[in-house]
Amino acid sequence: MEQITSSDGYTQPPPYAALRVKAIQSLLVDKGLVVEDALNEVVDLYENRIGPKDGAAVIARAWAEPEFRQQLLDDGTGTLAELGMTGFEGAHVVFVENTDTVHNVVVCTLCSCYPWAVLGLPPAWYKAPQYRSRAVMEPRDVLQEFGTFVPDDKEVRVWDSTAEIRYIVIPERPAGTEDLTVEQLAELVNRDSMIGTRLATPRQEAIA
Amino acid sequence: MNGVHDVGGKHGFGTVTTEEQEPVFHGQWERDVFSVIGLYFAAGLCPLDEFRHSIEVMDPAEYLSTPYYVHWLRAAENLGFWNDLFTPEELEARITELESNEKEGL
Amino acid sequence: MRLLQANEVHDAIRTPTNFTRPDAPPTRFSVGDRVTVRNLNPTGHTRLPQYAKGRTGVISIHHGFFVFPDTMAHGEGDQPQHLYNVRFTVGELFGKHGGNPDDHVYIDMWESYLDEASS
Repeated sequence: MEQITSSDGYTQPPPYAALRVKAIQSLLVDKGLVVEDALNEVVDLYENRIGPKDGAAVIARAWAEPEFRQQLLDDGTGTLAELGMTGFEGAHVVFVENTDTVHNVVVCTLCSCYPWAVLGLPPAWYKAPQYRSRAVMEPRDVLQEFGTFVPDDKEVRVWDSTAEIRYIVIPERPAGTEDLTVEQLAELVNRDSMIGTRLATPRQEAIA
Repeated sequence: MNGVHDVGGKHGFGTVTTEEQEPVFHGQWERDVFSVIGLYFAAGLCPLDEFRHSIEVMDPAEYLSTPYYVHWLRAAENLGFWNDLFTPEELEARITELESNEKEGL
Repeated sequence: MRLLQANEVHDAIRTPTNFTRPDAPPTRFSVGDRVTVRNLNPTGHTRLPQYAKGRTGVISIHHGFFVFPDTMAHGEGDQPQHLYNVRFTVGELFGKHGGNPDDHVYIDMWESYLDEASS
């Protein structure tokens, strides 16, 4: 498919943006509605502290411990809450499992719903209309743009996040990883594999 | 509402563009926008669906031609107006003030 | 809006909103039921995507009794309803476009978005 929109279009601000948001921030601070330290804190939380490494640790443990994997599938929300991975954009979580016969992928066609509490903030492509428009209609074509080829005899399941349920994919565990620790397995769980647009990283690419 | 935000099954947007080692934010303006909405959420300003709707009522042409965080910028404005945090007049006045400060190099 | 100090932000974002409500009435649908999506066109907020309207699918999950976004967005209260996940074939939604028509799209839908399928 022809590329008709530039990626910069999704990150470069129009000229009015920076000033307008500064004006909003300064109004809120002057009116005593927010404090500047709290503005910095919420950015720091999602920029530096909450992110895909959190979800990767959960998936690695699910690979290593069948009981934990079953718990995640039976009660994702409760299992994550015990680990402290709950809260905003993560009040209700359902894990879906990739298998020999099924490949899952998650989208939000109406806005940009994403399990922040477990994966942090979504990448720009997840929030852009290219992905959101096409993931439901031509999922296999979209997956190919990520380099992910799903064989014809495998069913693709697309989850459109229209409610407060957040879906997270448990990717298939790569072959030849039986001897790895949970910490080493977590290195194989890339962000996109938990969205479903990529597979888990093969051992030889992840661990030197 | 049958708005432009409802993009599932639409043609013409092109291929997905991904970025290797993508940073969480692509510049200070994204951090600034996120900080306002992030605190609106943390402080429980309004239901999440009111936030979603504050984006859906954007000018459709602007929605389709601007990056994601401009959608959030409009949400930050609309939610501020709807919840009586500030008025449109106050916002325009503050923008003018910041602009003239910039010109004077303050 | 509550004034948050920096040291209160973490706990605030780690505290989940409860989107469910108690005292649910009986469900209209059960897992496995065939349902057709109503052709609703409200002018306000809704979580019913255009591409699913009029299409027929199968109830795959009953999530519980959830607040209703269409009213929550407009200060009209939580008006809770049963929330389901409905499975559609890609063929039902988009015809022969887009590869394998036997792939599936799963969409969360509130009870008032749905009718029992006629056949």
